[in-house]
Amino acid sequence: MINFEDLYAGLSLLFSDLSLWLIVIPGILIGLIFGAIPGLQISMAMAIFLPLTLYMDFMQAMLFLTAIFTGGGFGGSIPAILMNIPGTSSSIATTFDGYPMSRSGKHNIALGIGLAASCIGVIIGYTLLLLLIGPISELVLKLGPAEMAAIILWGITLISSLSGVNINKGIISGFIGLLVGTVGFSEAGVTRGTLGSVYLLDGIPAIPAMMGMFAASELFKLVNTKYLVTDKALRKVSVKEILAGFKMAFTYPWVLVRGSIIGVFVGAVPGVGSSVANLLSYIQTKRKDKKPQSFGKGNPAGVVASEAANSTSEAGSMATLLALGIPGGGATAVMLAAFAMHNITGGPQFIREQTDVVYAIVFANFGQAFLLIILGLMFIPLLANVVKVPMNYLVPSVLSLSVFGAFGLTGDLTGPITVMVFALIGWLFKRFDYSVPAAVIGLLLGGMAEESLIYSYQISGGLWSYILERPVTMVILVLLVLSLFGSKLVAMLTRKVTT
Amino acid sequence: MKNNISKHKLADLFVLACLFLLVCWYAYDAYSASSHISNLILIVPVTVIVLVLCIIEFIRMFAIDEVTEQDPVTTVLPVILLFIGYVLTLKWLGFDVGTFLFIALFLWLHGERRKIWVIGYSLAFATLISLFFSGMLPYPMPMLVLSTAY
Repeated sequence: MINFEDLYAGLSLLFSDLSLWLIVIPGILIGLIFGAIPGLQISMAMAIFLPLTLYMDFMQAMLFLTAIFTGGGFGGSIPAILMNIPGTSSSIATTFDGYPMSRSGKHNIALGIGLAASCIGVIIGYTLLLLLIGPISELVLKLGPAEMAAIILWGITLISSLSGVNINKGIISGFIGLLVGTVGFSEAGVTRGTLGSVYLLDGIPAIPAMMGMFAASELFKLVNTKYLVTDKALRKVSVKEILAGFKMAFTYPWVLVRGSIIGVFVGAVPGVGSSVANLLSYIQTKRKDKKPQSFGKGNPAGVVASEAANSTSEAGSMATLLALGIPGGGATAVMLAAFAMHNITGGPQFIREQTDVVYAIVFANFGQAFLLIILGLMFIPLLANVVKVPMNYLVPSVLSLSVFGAFGLTGDLTGPITVMVFALIGWLFKRFDYSVPAAVIGLLLGGMAEESLIYSYQISGGLWSYILERPVTMVILVLLVLSLFGSKLVAMLTRKVTT
Repeated sequence: MKNNISKHKLADLFVLACLFLLVCWYAYDAYSASSHISNLILIVPVTVIVLVLCIIEFIRMFAIDEVTEQDPVTTVLPVILLFIGYVLTLKWLGFDVGTFLFIALFLWLHGERRKIWVIGYSLAFATLISLFFSGMLPYPMPMLVLSTAY
């Protein structure tokens, strides 16, 4: 478990030179800003500032990059709560209740809850990482493509059955998203669904599509409203309420702990982690709640669940990076590049030989969480003023911001065009009760689902019995069936018992 | 009112039919590209599930008479058209002039008649955001007036 000698060495490494910490504050601020601006990604911030780390030693570079990661984790929830724009796929579930809270004038509370859940999530997540880095890395190594495919399908099915009133349409949306996610070059070396366009050879740009479906389509819906919050009295920015929201997060201790555990373990799964963790945590919280129907209408527990999971999934992805040298997503991929720049290779050897550095990174994140509380509380009141901006100014400004952001992601006009097309699709989906989140998750994970299925097929030699040899896959598939038909089965059984 | 509901249902059916056809076309396109299992391993099962669900939904739509309150399309349509125009003309107008025109026209369409606000806000926003992004991004952005350098 914990090696106390290395723990002490790690702490000395961190606190022997306090100038190391000077780099953390700008790091958190950069993360907050990039996370809060739709279209700018945490991975983009880290990539832009990566060259700066050449002039730092490895520890300082890690502190700087993880500070951007931590700040961005919460920063992404700000547009999710205020504008229904998830900065990243890991903030999708935050929009479900955060945005309805904003629309009913509880934006200050929602932001306070988001900040608290994010900071506590980071602390719980890294504590779990400190204790369980060994077992987590072993577990991740055991996850083969069959398990990955099962996790992806489970995630899609859960979100499809969760959102909207029509489960049927939810599943249609999620599965169409999966199909759209496979557009472009296939593993077989052929192109599908590109209509001959070279811009689609690499597939549909997922983040611009997500921005279009979530943000632009929502803004179309809001063109006839005067303000984000209709009631003028509720349109105020109150530090007192932000603090009340901050405290409120602590009234959901189980939601926080459950979200953090889900975040660490699911977040450790490369590629899938952060996108699915927040949704799984949200769904579990909704299931366990006494009033599940209140979710999606501004239930604070929904924000706590999502934010706790997405901030801990950072710790999970760091576990995979440190223990196995595998980046879980864009941000950890940049961190891997920083490892390479400092001639360091992540993996079991790194954990064994440089345990003090691993502990130092973990403790640095504890410190960052506390700094994030202070910086977040200073930053939120400025951003919360968005609710005071009239919609006729806010709508075109955010629409153009998403167009600029999409251009930033693709480097050509494919991004803005993708936003436009998916804004229309999103608007139609919303209008006719299809699930936008399910479609977006499908789109994000379609390519990966297909890849995992192909690898499973190649490993198994096409034998279905292979699944029976994979207990984890079996468990996930059973969970998938239960998530679809569980409540109906229980209702059926109870009816039989009572009659 | 009844006329509105039936129109909504008709539009709903139309969207469902479009999704049905889209999925059929995509499966056909993928099959035409290659019938190898690695090309169809996800597409075929997912297509079958979606088509079955579309048929179930089609039947359900006729069985249940749902009333859904919706904003009239006529109020959203000008904004959608303006947005499409904005994106499609970026290549020629550039991000600077395109954004300025988009915001100014949007404000005008939504009742802002104070010329100083329409022109001033649009100009300030378009200039600042164009300068910010062109400075941050590592590639040139299409611009008409501002520099495309980065």
